Amino acid sequence: MTTIDAVSRGLMLDSLKEYAKRRIPFDCIRELDRENEFPAEILKEMYDPGVLGVHLLLIPREHGGLGGGTVDIYRVCEALARIDLGIATSVFATFLGTDPLRVGGTEAQQRKWMRKIAEEKLLVAYGATEADAGSDLVNLRTRAEQVVKNGKLAGYKITGNKQWISNGGVADLYTILALAPGGPSWFLVERDATGFSANKHEDKHGIRLSNTAGLSLDDVYVPADQLIGEVEGQGLQQAQAVFGYTRLMVAAFGMGAGCEALETAVRYSQQRIQGGGPLSQKQGYTHKLIVPHAVALEASRAYIHAIALRLDGEEHGLQTEGAIGKYYATEAGNNAAEDAIQALGGYGYTRDFPVEKIKRDVKIACIYEGTNEIMEMTIYRGRWQEHLKSRGQYYIGMAAELDALHAQNANVGADSAALGLRALARILEDCRAQRLTRHQNVTFKLGELIAAAEVAANFCKTAAAKEYNEGVRMDRACCEAMSRVCARETAFDVASQGIKLVLGAGTGSAAELSQAVSLVEIEDRQRGVTEDKDLIAAKLNETFRPR
Amino acid sequence: MNIVVCIKQVPDTTQVKVDPQTGTLIRAGVPSILNPYDHFALETALALKEKTGAEVTVISMGPPQAKTVLRLALALGTDRGILLSDRAFAGSDTWATSYAIARAIKKIGKADLILCGMMAIDGDTAQTGPGIAQQLHLPQITFCEHVAVSGRKLTAKKLMDGGHEIVEAQLPALCTLVLPADYKPAFPSFPEIAAAQEKDLELWTAADVGADENLLGLKGSPTRVDRVYAPPQRARGTVHQGTAAELVEKLVCILKEENFIKC
Ligand SMILES: Cc1cc2nc3c(=O)[nH]c(=O)nc-3n(C[C@H](O)[C@H](O)[C@H](O)COP(=O)(O)OP(=O)(O)OC[C@H]3O[C@@H](n4cnc5c(N)ncnc54)[C@H](O)[C@@H]3O)c2cc1C
Ligand SMILES: Cc1cc2nc3c(=O)[nH]c(=O)nc-3n(C[C@H](O)[C@H](O)[C@H](O)COP(=O)(O)OP(=O)(O)OC[C@H]3O[C@@H](n4cnc5c(N)ncnc54)[C@H](O)[C@@H]3O)c2cc1C
Repeated sequence: MTTIDAVSRGLMLDSLKEYAKRRIPFDCIRELDRENEFPAEILKEMYDPGVLGVHLLLIPREHGGLGGGTVDIYRVCEALARIDLGIATSVFATFLGTDPLRVGGTEAQQRKWMRKIAEEKLLVAYGATEADAGSDLVNLRTRAEQVVKNGKLAGYKITGNKQWISNGGVADLYTILALAPGGPSWFLVERDATGFSANKHEDKHGIRLSNTAGLSLDDVYVPADQLIGEVEGQGLQQAQAVFGYTRLMVAAFGMGAGCEALETAVRYSQQRIQGGGPLSQKQGYTHKLIVPHAVALEASRAYIHAIALRLDGEEHGLQTEGAIGKYYATEAGNNAAEDAIQALGGYGYTRDFPVEKIKRDVKIACIYEGTNEIMEMTIYRGRWQEHLKSRGQYYIGMAAELDALHAQNANVGADSAALGLRALARILEDCRAQRLTRHQNVTFKLGELIAAAEVAANFCKTAAAKEYNEGVRMDRACCEAMSRVCARETAFDVASQGIKLVLGAGTGSAAELSQAVSLVEIEDRQRGVTEDKDLIAAKLNETFRPR
Repeated sequence: MNIVVCIKQVPDTTQVKVDPQTGTLIRAGVPSILNPYDHFALETALALKEKTGAEVTVISMGPPQAKTVLRLALALGTDRGILLSDRAFAGSDTWATSYAIARAIKKIGKADLILCGMMAIDGDTAQTGPGIAQQLHLPQITFCEHVAVSGRKLTAKKLMDGGHEIVEAQLPALCTLVLPADYKPAFPSFPEIAAAQEKDLELWTAADVGADENLLGLKGSPTRVDRVYAPPQRARGTVHQGTAAELVEKLVCILKEENFIKC
C-alpha cells in the first residue's frame, strides 16, 4: 500500500526530530503547557510542505499527498508523541478527521477535499463525541435534517452540540457525525459556516498544547455533496472501518510517550548517586521501576509493527488487533510514565523535568479513541467469537505455532508463551461452560488476559525474527531476554489470574484448575527471570547514556 | 559548472563510548548520521548551485547503508548521487579511500569544484580531502568557512588561528569545509524526501571506476588502526573542608608546595 521505503521513513523522522529540537525545545513546550496554549504557528509550519508537510503523509498520492501507509504513520505518531502528545493529538485529529472521507467518500469528494486539505494545509477535526454520547454513540443527539428544493435533496441543516473535540476551536474543516433520517452520517462542515461556533478551549489535566473544545451547530447548512459517501446511515460503519488503524496510532502514542519517559529515567538513574552508587546499579530500583516497563514497551512495539504490516498488506479491519494494541501499549506507556516520576524521586515530581508532563499527557491515550475498558470489551467480544467458532481451538492452534517456534529458537521463551495461550484457552472454556461471561467484570478481565497473551506470543516471533524492525534499538541478546521475561510472566499472570477469575465468579476446584492450566509448569518457567532482568537493565544503561 | 561533494556516513560520535574492557566502540543504539562537516559542504554546493546553476553530484564510499546519506543529499536538492560500494573497499585507510574516490571523480568526468568536509567525526584524520586533491593533481584549500566562485576564479575564506585568510585559486580545485559558528544543518521536508526516493541512485563498484584492487582495502592501505581507546581518566581532584580561614591557609600552602607562588 505504502510507497515510502524505510530509508525515506527514517529521513522523515530525522527531519521531524530536528525541527522539534530547534523550534519547540522542552522549555518552550513547558511554557505552552503552563499557559494552556495551542501553538497554532507550529502546526502551520509542520503542515507547510516547505518545512515539513507532515499531513501530506495521510493524503493519497493521486490527491497531492504522499500516500503514507500504516507503518509510516505509526512511526510518525510515535515520534510526535515523544515530542509532545498535545501536538501529536492535533496532527492526529487531522488524520482522524480525514478518515471517514478516506474510507467512505465518493471519488469526487475525495478529489475535492483531500486536495484541499493537502494544498491549503487544513487542520481538520473529528466530531463524534457529545455530552451524552461518549463511549456509546447510540445517544447521538446532533441531527441533520434534509433540505429539499424543487423536489430535490439540496442539503442538510445540522443542529446539536459536540464535546471534547480535538482541534475544535482551531480547525479549518470538521467532520461531524449527525443523525440523518437514514441514520448516523458524517458531514463535512467548514469553519465559517453560518450557525457554527466553537466553545472555549478546555482546561485539561494533560495534552494542554492540544486545543480541545466543544462545538455548537445551530441550523448549519451543508450542501448534499458534503454528506460523506452521499448515502445516509453509513456513519458508524465508516467510523468502525478504520478503528483497527486509528487505534493502532493511539497505541503508538502510548508507546512513544512511554519510551520517552523510560529513557529519561534510564539516563537519569546513571547520574543520580544514592546509597553509595548510581541508582542504575541498584537492582531493586531497576527491576521495579525500569525493566518491567522496558519489556512492556518493547512488546508493544513488536505488536504495533506486526499489525501495521498486516494493515499495509492485504488485510482489512483488524479491529480486535487494533484494540489489543491500543489497550496494551497505552497501559504500558501510562505505567512507564507513572514509574518514571517515581524513578526521578522528588525531581520527577517537579515541572523542571519532563516526566510529570508525560504522565499527565499519556493518560489521555487510555481514554480517547475508545476508553481502555471499551477496549477490553472489544477484545473480549472479538476473541470470544473465535473461541466459540473454533470450539476452543483458537488459542490451542496459536500455542502449537509457538511450540514450533520454540523448536527452532529456544531463546525467546516461546514455550512459555505457548503455555500461556493454552492456559488462556482453558480459562475461556471454563468461562463458557459455567456461563461466567454474564459477569461484565469477567469479560473485561478476559479482554486484558487475551491482550497480554497475544502480545507476548507476538513478541516471541519478533524476537526470533532474522532481522529486527527499524524501531528496535536494543540488540538481539536484550530483545531475547525481554521476550523471555514477557512470555514467562504473562503465562503466569494468565494462569493465576484466570484461576482467580473462574473461582471468583463460578465454581470448581483450585487444584484441578491449577493442573488444567499447567500452573506448576508455568511456575517452573520462571527460573532465570532475575538474571534476564539484570541483563536488560545493563543493556538499557548501555543504550541510553546520560546526555 | 560541475560540483562534486564527498560525503561520509558516520556514527553520531556524540553518543559513542569506548568500552574500557575491550577497547571497541559501543555502537548499540547509536544512530548513523551524515558527517556534519559534509552536511555543510553539501549546503555550500547547493548555495553555489542556486547562484550559478551548477550541477551538484554527491559521492559516498561505504557499505550499502550509506545510501541513506545520499538520499538525504538528493532530498536537499542534489542532482545526482553515487554510492561507491564494493567489498574490495573494506578496510581502506585514508590513502586508499582517497584513491577510490579520486577514481570515481575521474569517471564522473568534468568536476570543476570538489568539496569535502574538513574531517569525518569518526575517523578524525582530516586527510581524505587533501588525499583526493593529491591524487587528482588539483589545488586544495583546506579549512574553508566560505567558498565563492566567479567565472573560473575560486575565492575561499579560510579559518586560521586567530583570524581568517582569503585565498584564491583557479578551477578546478578542491576545498575542505569547517563548520561556521552556530551552524544548523538544513533538513528536507517530507515531500522532498519522498521525491528523492524517485531519483536514481547510482551504484559503482571498484571495477566500475577502474580501480586497481591492489591499491584498495587493507592491501592498499599503508596505515592500520592498531587500537582505539578512551584516554585514561585524569586523577580526581581533592576536596578540602573547613572554615573560610582554614581553607585559605590550606590553599596558599598547596600553591607554595606546587611552586605556583613563592614567599
Ligand atoms: C482531550 C480529549 C480529546 C478528545 N478528542 C476527541 C475528538 O477529537 N473527537 C471526538 O469525537 N471525541 C474526542 N474525545 C472524546 C473521547 O473519545 C471520549 O471522552 C471517550 O470516548 C470516552 O467517552 P466519555 O468521556 O463520555 O466517557 P464515558 O463513556 O462516560 O466513560 C466513563 C467511564 O465509564 C467507562 N464505561 C463507559 N461505558 C461503559 C460500559 N458500557 N460498561 C462499563 N464501563 C463503561 C469508561 O471506560 C470510562 O472509564 C476527546 C476527549 C478528550 C478528553
Ligand atoms: C577511530 C578511527 C580512527 C582512524 N584512524 C585512521 C588513521 O589514523 N589513518 C588512516 O589512514 N585511517 C584511519 N581510519 C580509517 C578512516 O576512517 C577511513 O579510512 C576513512 O575512509 C577516511 O578517513 P576519515 O574518516 O578520517 O575521514 P577524513 O579524512 O577525516 O574526512 C575528510 C572528508 O573526506 C571525505 N570523506 C572521507 N571518507 C569518505 C568516504 N568514505 N566517502 C566519501 N567521502 C569521504 C568527507 O568529505 C570528509 O569530511 C580511522 C578510522 C576510525 C573509525
